Amino acid sequence: MVQMEQDALRKHLRTLLEEGLQTEVEPRAYTSEDINHLVHRLQSLRPDDYEGKLQIAGFQLDPYRPPGEVGGDIVQSCETCMYYVVHRQYCELPELAIPVEKDWSCRLWRI
Amino acid sequence: MANLLWLQGGACSGNTMSFLNAEEPSACDLVTDFGINVLWHPSLGVELGDNLQKILRDCISGAIPLDIFVFEGTVVNAPNGTGQWNRFAARPMKEWVRELSDVAQYVVAIGDCATWGGIPATAPNPSDSQGLQFLKRNHGGALGKEFRSKAGLPVINIPGCPAHPDWITQIVVAVATGRGAEVALDDFQRPKTFFQSFTQTGCTRNMHFAYKVSATEFGQRKGCLYYDLGCRGPMTHSPCNRILWNRQSSKTRSGMPCLGCTEPEFPFFDLAPGTVFKTQTVMGVPKDLPLGVDKKGYIALTGAAKNAAPAWAEEDIFVV
Ligand code: SF4
Ligand code: SF4
Ligand code: SF4
Repeated sequence: MVQMEQDALRKHLRTLLEEGLQTEVEPRAYTSEDINHLVHRLQSLRPDDYEGKLQIAGFQLDPYRPPGEVGGDIVQSCETCMYYVVHRQYCELPELAIPVEKDWSCRLWRI
Repeated sequence: MANLLWLQGGACSGNTMSFLNAEEPSACDLVTDFGINVLWHPSLGVELGDNLQKILRDCISGAIPLDIFVFEGTVVNAPNGTGQWNRFAARPMKEWVRELSDVAQYVVAIGDCATWGGIPATAPNPSDSQGLQFLKRNHGGALGKEFRSKAGLPVINIPGCPAHPDWITQIVVAVATGRGAEVALDDFQRPKTFFQSFTQTGCTRNMHFAYKVSATEFGQRKGCLYYDLGCRGPMTHSPCNRILWNRQSSKTRSGMPCLGCTEPEFPFFDLAPGTVFKTQTVMGVPKDLPLGVDKKGYIALTGAAKNAAPAWAEEDIFVV
C-alpha cells in the first residue's frame, strides 16, 4: 500500500475510534491462550474488515496503563510494541497489518 | 593410540548422525590421523552377541584400556529403578554405564539426553531417564555428583539436540591427544570454549535485536526472532553462530528461532502446546529476558531503542 493510502486509512481508523466505535479493550489478553484466541478471531476476518480488527483487538487512541501497575513501568502503546514499525507507523502483526499511531494501543501489545 | 567406546541409551541416534557428518576432521580422520581406535560404536561396530560382550567385559577388567567412554542417550531406570526397559548385551544398559565409567580415563556425554535427560526426561518422564551427571539442572544424575573419571574429571558434557559435529570431534581429539586437562568446563561441565558465548553471538539479526525490530514469520530475513517467535538466542550458551552448521548457516540465520537446546531445561516449558515457537509473555513482557537483563531495564531499553531505530533497520537489507 502506498504511503498516501496508508495515511488515509490511518485517518479513517482514527475517525472510527473518535466517533465512538466500541472495542474490546478489556479483558486484556495476558495468557498465551487468550492471545491465541484473539489471533484466531482476527484470522476469521476479511483483510479489509478494519472495524472488526479494531473491535476484536481492543483498540483505543491512548496508551493503556494496567490498573495497579506500580511505578507505571508498563505503559502499553504501539510506540513500544514489538509489532510497531516506527518509520512507517505501521503494525506488522500479520493479523492486523494496519497503519497506526504511536500512542494507540491494543490487547495484542507485546514488548 | 586412544581406545574409544561409544554406547547408546535412550536416544534417537541424532548425535551419531551428527558425528558421522563431521568433516574437519571427519570420523575417518579421527582414526587415520588422530590415532583413535574405535573399539565399538552402535552404527560402526561389527561385533555382535558374545564378541561384543567380550569387548565390554575386557574394558571393565582392564584387559583393554578404555581411554574414552562416549555415551549418547539417557540412562533409563524404568521400571522401578531396574533399567530393564533398556537392555543391552544381556543386561540393563545402566549397569554397563556404571562399570565402564568407573574404568574410563574420560567419560564424555554427547547430546542433551546423555547430559541432562533431554526430551526423554520431559515430564512425566515415563522411562525414568537421567543424564550421566545431571537431571535437568539438578546435579547428580546416574553417576552421582561426586563422580570423577580416572583422569580426575567429571563427565564432559557436550549438549545439543543434536550436538554439532565439531563440538564432538574437537573434544574427542583434545582428550585423545593428551590435552584433556586443558578442557575448561563451566558449571554444567560443558567445555567453555564452545559454551561460554551465546547463540546470539554472531547472529546476523543482532541489529534487529538492538533496534527492536521483530520478525513475524519464519524464514523472514528481516527482524529478530526473540520478540515474537520464541528465539532463545540471548539466553542460550552455544557457538551456533560462530561455528556454523554445515559450514553454511544456523537456525537463526535461516529464520528459525533457537530453541535453547544446549541448556539443561531443554525442551522448555515441558513442550506444552503453544510454547515452542512463541515468545512466552507475562502481561506482554517476555517471561525469559536476555541473560542478566531485568524487566525495568528491558522496558527502558526498548523505548530508547525503538526511538533511535534508523529507517534501514526496518527494511530487508539482505537483498539477493
Ligand atoms: S499489536 Fe502492537 S503495534 Fe499492533 S496495534 Fe497492537 S499495540 Fe499497536
Ligand atoms: S534471532 Fe535470536 S539469536 Fe538472533 S539476534 Fe534475535 S534473539 Fe538473538
Ligand atoms: S541454534 Fe539453538 S536450538 Fe539450534 S542447535 Fe544451536 S543452541 Fe540448539
